[in-house]
Amino acid sequence: MDPIFSAIEQTPFSVWMREDLYAYFIALIFHSVGMALLIGGGVVVSLRGLGVARNTSFEKFRGFFPVMWFGAVMAVVSGLALLIGYPAKALTNPLFAVKFACLIGAALLVREMALRLFPVMAQGEPAPPWGRRLAIAALVLWLCGVAAGKLLLHTYTILLVS
Amino acid sequence: MDPIFDPIAIEQWARDTGIFGMMNSKWGWPIAEIIHFFGLCLLIGTVGMFDLRMMGVARGVTMKELHRLVPFGIAGYAMCVVTGLLFVVTAPGQYLYNPAMQSKIVLMAIAGANMAMFYATAAAGVNAAGPDDLPPVRARVIGFVSLFCWLGVIVAGRLVTFFRPPEHWCLWCVS
Repeated sequence: MDPIFSAIEQTPFSVWMREDLYAYFIALIFHSVGMALLIGGGVVVSLRGLGVARNTSFEKFRGFFPVMWFGAVMAVVSGLALLIGYPAKALTNPLFAVKFACLIGAALLVREMALRLFPVMAQGEPAPPWGRRLAIAALVLWLCGVAAGKLLLHTYTILLVS
Repeated sequence: MDPIFDPIAIEQWARDTGIFGMMNSKWGWPIAEIIHFFGLCLLIGTVGMFDLRMMGVARGVTMKELHRLVPFGIAGYAMCVVTGLLFVVTAPGQYLYNPAMQSKIVLMAIAGANMAMFYATAAAGVNAAGPDDLPPVRARVIGFVSLFCWLGVIVAGRLVTFFRPPEHWCLWCVS
């Protein structure tokens, strides 16, 4: 993989991401805001799945999905920019895969809630046990995604290969 | 000279209490960072989504019901304050005179005043609103200011590491 990492590191965009005074920080800011919107939206949907605010229709929480999508796009685009800046740093760290798996898993569980749980709870009925398990699993995965992302900075072993 | 804070004394206190050692252990700082960001996500997920609802997003969700999620946001805020204090007392020189940190505190203060304004002037109208109602203009403005402040807190928080000592911005210091 080293030749691939090296080739990416030597692209003008990668060099710019590392050497410009502001580029990396601006990407980090967008990544944080995007993640907060994505995970924040995911957390609120999961909490509703657990039965908090049960007098309001779960179905209507679909209205927060565009906010989550907006956050996800922001996080992915800025994340790609960060990745291109230091490809080996992320891609040689197993926690990067853990972060991705957790966030994708959590997003899929929210989708599952929208497809299966929203209709069940449409009339304001309490969540069935499997629905609560789904919500708890989503909350745990959001938390693990955050944890893995934060640990990336402290656990990488290779910064650059070129 | 700083008439308010004594960074050396603060750091010494952190050393004496064991906070400095804990935060500088292998996992101390990373774990505090994880708790800090998850607290922020709880805050954005509850208070932020409530702000968005007040601004007109997700019509159909009753604001009074959504407000029941706010205690989770307060828990997230508490997580952020506790871990934030651990960061500050462990490395006071990096935080106290940091323009990003100062901006973050100002934004948090504005968000706090804005929240007081909400409960004093707009909460009753918001609680009485139906699921599809758009809240009064005052509540919409309060929601916008709140969301702006909390997203600004995230931005400033990221910029804390952009300004490294000897960057020094002490508006209250005397020569």
